Amino acid sequence: MSAPGYTNLNSSVNYSLNGGATPSYQNGPGQPYPAMYPSSSYYSSTPQQAYPAAPGHKASVVNNDHMSNYYHNSNQPPPAGPGSGPSPYGPSSTSHPPTQPYGTTAPSSSGASQPPSAFQHPALYSMPTAYYGQHYPTSHPQSLPLSQPPQPNLVSVSSGTSMNAPLYPIVSYPSAPGSSQYGTLRSSQMSSGQPPVSTVMAPPSSGTEQQFVQGNGSSIPASVTPAHQSYADPLLSQTAAVNGQANAVPQHYEHSLHTPMTQHYGGPPPTSQGPDGDRPPSGTSTSVHSSPGHQQGLQYGGYIANSGVSSSAATARDHSSSSSDADEEDEEDEEAGADSSSSTTGSASPVPNSYESLEGGSYPDSSIPPPADPSKRAPPFGYSYPSMQPGYQQGSSSRPDSSPSHRGYNPPGYQAQYSQPFPSLSQLSAALGGLSGVPELEVDALRPVNLIQERNLLPPTHTASPEPNLSTELKKVNCSPDTFRCTLTSIPQTQALLNKARLPLGLLLHPFRDLTQLPVITSNTIVRCRSCRTYINPFVSFLDQRRWKCNLCYRVNDVPDEFMYNPVTRSYGEPHKRPEIQNSTVEFIASSDYMLRPPQPAAYLFVLDVSHNAIEAGYLNVFCQSLLENLDKLPGDTRTKIGFLTFDSTIHFYNLQEGLSQPQMLVVSDIDDVFIPTHDSLLVNLKESKELVKELLTALPRMFTNTRETHSALGPALQAAFKLMSPTGGRVSVFQTQLPTLGAGLLHSREDPNQRSSTKGVQHLGPATDFYKKLALDCSGQQIGVDLFLLSSQYSDLASLACVSKYSAGSIFYYPTFHHIHNPAQRQKFQKDLQRYLTRKIGFEAVMRIRCTKGLSIHTFHGNFFVRSTDLLSLANVNPDSGFAVQVSIEESLADTSLACFQAALLYTSSKGKRRIRVHTLCLPVVSQLSDVFAGADVEAITCLLANMAIDRSISSSLTDARDALVNAVVDSLSAYRANGSSLQPVGVIAPASLRLFPLYVLALLKQKALRTGTSTRLDDRVFAMCEFKSQPLKHMMRMVHPDLYRIDNLSEQGALHLNDCVIPQPPLLQLSAEKLTREGAFLMDCGSVMYLWVGKCCSEIFIRDVLGYPNYASIPPNMTEIPELETQSSQRTRAFLSWLQESRTFFPCFYVLKDDPSTKTSFFQHLVEDRTESAQSYYEFLLHIQQQICH
Amino acid sequence: MVLLTMIFRVADGMPLAASMQEDGQSGRDLQQYQTQAKQLCRKLNEQSPSRCSLEAGEMTFHYAIEKGVCYLVLCEAGFPKKLSFAYLEDIETEFNEQYGKKVPKASRPYSFIEFDTYIQKTKKSYIDSRARRNLGNINTELQDVQRIMVANIEEVLQRGEALSALDSKASNLSSLSKKYRSDAKYLNTRSTYAKVAAGAFFFIALIVYVRFWWF
Repeated sequence: MSAPGYTNLNSSVNYSLNGGATPSYQNGPGQPYPAMYPSSSYYSSTPQQAYPAAPGHKASVVNNDHMSNYYHNSNQPPPAGPGSGPSPYGPSSTSHPPTQPYGTTAPSSSGASQPPSAFQHPALYSMPTAYYGQHYPTSHPQSLPLSQPPQPNLVSVSSGTSMNAPLYPIVSYPSAPGSSQYGTLRSSQMSSGQPPVSTVMAPPSSGTEQQFVQGNGSSIPASVTPAHQSYADPLLSQTAAVNGQANAVPQHYEHSLHTPMTQHYGGPPPTSQGPDGDRPPSGTSTSVHSSPGHQQGLQYGGYIANSGVSSSAATARDHSSSSSDADEEDEEDEEAGADSSSSTTGSASPVPNSYESLEGGSYPDSSIPPPADPSKRAPPFGYSYPSMQPGYQQGSSSRPDSSPSHRGYNPPGYQAQYSQPFPSLSQLSAALGGLSGVPELEVDALRPVNLIQERNLLPPTHTASPEPNLSTELKKVNCSPDTFRCTLTSIPQTQALLNKARLPLGLLLHPFRDLTQLPVITSNTIVRCRSCRTYINPFVSFLDQRRWKCNLCYRVNDVPDEFMYNPVTRSYGEPHKRPEIQNSTVEFIASSDYMLRPPQPAAYLFVLDVSHNAIEAGYLNVFCQSLLENLDKLPGDTRTKIGFLTFDSTIHFYNLQEGLSQPQMLVVSDIDDVFIPTHDSLLVNLKESKELVKELLTALPRMFTNTRETHSALGPALQAAFKLMSPTGGRVSVFQTQLPTLGAGLLHSREDPNQRSSTKGVQHLGPATDFYKKLALDCSGQQIGVDLFLLSSQYSDLASLACVSKYSAGSIFYYPTFHHIHNPAQRQKFQKDLQRYLTRKIGFEAVMRIRCTKGLSIHTFHGNFFVRSTDLLSLANVNPDSGFAVQVSIEESLADTSLACFQAALLYTSSKGKRRIRVHTLCLPVVSQLSDVFAGADVEAITCLLANMAIDRSISSSLTDARDALVNAVVDSLSAYRANGSSLQPVGVIAPASLRLFPLYVLALLKQKALRTGTSTRLDDRVFAMCEFKSQPLKHMMRMVHPDLYRIDNLSEQGALHLNDCVIPQPPLLQLSAEKLTREGAFLMDCGSVMYLWVGKCCSEIFIRDVLGYPNYASIPPNMTEIPELETQSSQRTRAFLSWLQESRTFFPCFYVLKDDPSTKTSFFQHLVEDRTESAQSYYEFLLHIQQQICH
Repeated sequence: MVLLTMIFRVADGMPLAASMQEDGQSGRDLQQYQTQAKQLCRKLNEQSPSRCSLEAGEMTFHYAIEKGVCYLVLCEAGFPKKLSFAYLEDIETEFNEQYGKKVPKASRPYSFIEFDTYIQKTKKSYIDSRARRNLGNINTELQDVQRIMVANIEEVLQRGEALSALDSKASNLSSLSKKYRSDAKYLNTRSTYAKVAAGAFFFIALIVYVRFWWF
């Protein structure tokens, strides 16, 4: 970036304006012109093709020229009047064609959009001379004619638009490859963004304006050159006057401001550009986009003034939203000492509050005609609005993922219906834009969708979770959504607002997830807030070199000396560059203050059922085999301890003391008062007794082959295990195959098979006895985690047994029809699960605490653990496959903050005896508008949290209640949305785009084993499904709730992923409806822990031969569980795709090949949630039901 | 009976290894002793006697400091002192051999926790009464055991406290004296002002008097 040259240009602009000497700036533009047109045609016409071209970043310099160039051009017409406007645009006619792709209606849309651009520029440039709108009135009439006779002037006018088009890309162009497409997007968006202006824009803009004022206040003194100053001024006035459209321009300013700044900071060019590159995904409203950017510019300006602040701090600051602006300002406030202007901006952050009053006219600009004028122009805008839509569509279709769904909106009916709803949306978006607080994404997320009319809502690929509306800098360091996710990516300011939205607020955590990259920090002092004990994190603010302010409780803390040294760069005095500040997920090596006792060794105890039933099922063999194979891979060090215990009606211990020639079996038959026969030789050091352990494992399966003992004394065996483990703590793995029938904790069959498909409530979802819960709590107290493997084909009262794992932070595995010979798929799954289970990472004696910003409070926890104190979760064991959910409420208003943070800290002992603390910090913006809350809704997280809540409800109250509550959740949130956009027509089920899948997911939830009624479901199956919901991480859960369906008989290379010379086809996701299935195809359904390959009756024989290895459909065996490794291309592709899917989860999924016959109905078709079943509604019926509920 | 063993670096009190206490079976609450052991880690320094027994109620701590590493063991009060020190000696030799060179580099607590395995084993052989007899014979040369200082744990732990109390008293005193000094100064200046004011008043009165009575 040639910053100096650039500033020159700027100054020349100002000059020329002030002096009225146009030629001076004609020089500049003259050259860039040619360069610009090609680019414009690129962007506007074929965004996708432009995509690859975008990476060429070299153009950045040229781009700058473009920008300036553009200004000049657009500058000119206003003073010269419409007539003269075209002339400087001589080439403009050539540039026009590119805009055509917007559709036939493009002209009108451009007509609508142009006038603003025409008059915004005059406004812009004239401002420097006359502060508030002296020019304005004059320029305005000129621009009006442009807009009112829309068609005739279009050529000249649209040239302006077409200029716009290239312009936008240019702005974001240098930043990232993806940005080009947004160029079009934005340009089209800009046009669509304007109509709202007519009616509503004024207020928000004044809000923005206020911000600008203050922003300028701080930046003006700060800005480096006079040129800048004047630059900022126009901005100010312009935004005030021109409202929404104006916002488009500040964007350039942002960049123009940036560029000079880059001189000062060596680093910033990438960072200042970066933001735009990152932001595009949202890409809907320009206005939104621009203003934050503008703010950035100012920020930088302000920065220089505070010359003491280093560049990295500057980058850290670059927020994109108004809300974060406030925070930014706060930060700056503190850093700069006392900058009064910036502090006022801080207070102005809740713009909506102030904007009403501003509208009253206390502001100079609100009295200026323009704001009124747009409203006069409203009809033309409204008229042209529908026509804008295509442009909008095109813009959005340039995004790979959304295109199909968007295309669906085309039908004329849509326009008819939406022409009215739209203004209110646009009102929203405009408001948002004016607030400068919401990135484009959110406006897109707010687009109302009529669910009844639009069937194809499912995106063809997995969409990423919605990103919180933060500055790119914050986004970059924010916690990964896989680890930490919030149901609302924008936190409502008050509980009242949250109640209005009727959406649940909560967090979904996967804290011990396997991570590929994790900064581990060893230091003597772990820096934490002194009052709330928050760990230092990227979202704290450094007041100066010696002090930092906690982002949760706002206490100012000292930076310890040690923290001044950065071990990564080996430099001193850069506390903000330490890894703790650069990463939101870090791990600390804990000091001895974090230990109550010396770190425990890894200790594993296996409690095995060896009754007749167990031997019949034959799991023992599989288990011993797996353990033998993985004995060396068990996580641990030389201290690792291992022990075995078997039980039927008695309990058998195994003495594995080093030095024995073979394992000794000790039988305790007194199950009423269990005692440990010998203390130190039952749980032995694995390293020293490895030979004995191996011997035992080879002998075990044969030892009980002829047993006639059918009873099972699980309770006493667990008591024995507890006693054995309590000195050390560790993991107890229980393998059980039937209902416990002896001793403490015996259970009786509670299931009535005739009630399995009852539509009335389901009984016995809770435990029958509290024995297991009590035992689990004892275990938890001694740091023992109990994992339960239930391999039972009969009812075993999982509801009671599961308690032993639930409260001791264990995991539950269930193999309902396990048999080592008759069910090879389950056997394979058991084997693979064991392998993962035995070798996965494990943390011992763990505790987890979740902290959140003052004003928020965490109240209900979901998952497997014991809540020791109000917010401390005791996890005897922690494993990488368990997820947690918590509900959050807002206790105090968050009005005085713009960011809400959540921090989860997990303190655990690794299997190597290291005490570690893993800290995750999530930062989210706080919003004050209901629309923002809706825009930030994360539908997957909401679904998962609701599922957790529903399961609690069904246990505490009844299943029917839980189901009603789920439906009500949808009805409530959608009616809340409707009440919000009051002008929406009461037709159809309208949902914001962010929640468009909400009804579908809830319907899917209602059809899950856990919550369904009317379909025959075994009680244990149901209870297990409930346990899964409570303890699985979000991703896995979503796959269970709404499986992925792909057609795989025609996999192609198109859009395939290339991962280390391996081609992985990416077939589109299909809706879960039988109408998507064809007899000619083969379909893969991925339900998380199960995968089905459904082969249609008329599936091409080529596929069957090449992939399945059978000559024709008839010869496919009924219980196929694997795909053979064939050398054909389609086989390779299919297997590559399958293994790619399998890699995305930690546990191996069962795989079934199903043929198209009635027997598959239960397993496969039950997952097609959009279809009607005997007992459940189809998606369409469900929507109608919801519609009915909403209307009442 | 050996209940608790800890090995830590004397320089900064960083724990290096420890054996898990087994309070589950003995039913005793060792938490209190655990805390005391931790405090000892911090209190002991290079100047502390290299061998010492500390009485703590019905338990006794024995420690030995060798090459900057302190070996601390908690035994029942009745457990022979001789055996305890033999045990410490035993552990010290082995630890020094295995990890001696790495001690200064240890940066996290319990870096050598794997030494626990050896401690456990040694402990067992000392607890076992039959083995104990043999060991007793071997370690008779440990004659100077009797000369090892015996102190009360409270004294050791509170010695520092007494010093710090003295320190705080002294600083309190000095700050009070400072305050007195400033107060005195203030009073002095005030009285000076009063004198000046009185003088000035008298002077003015004089002038007024002269003015009104002489003219």
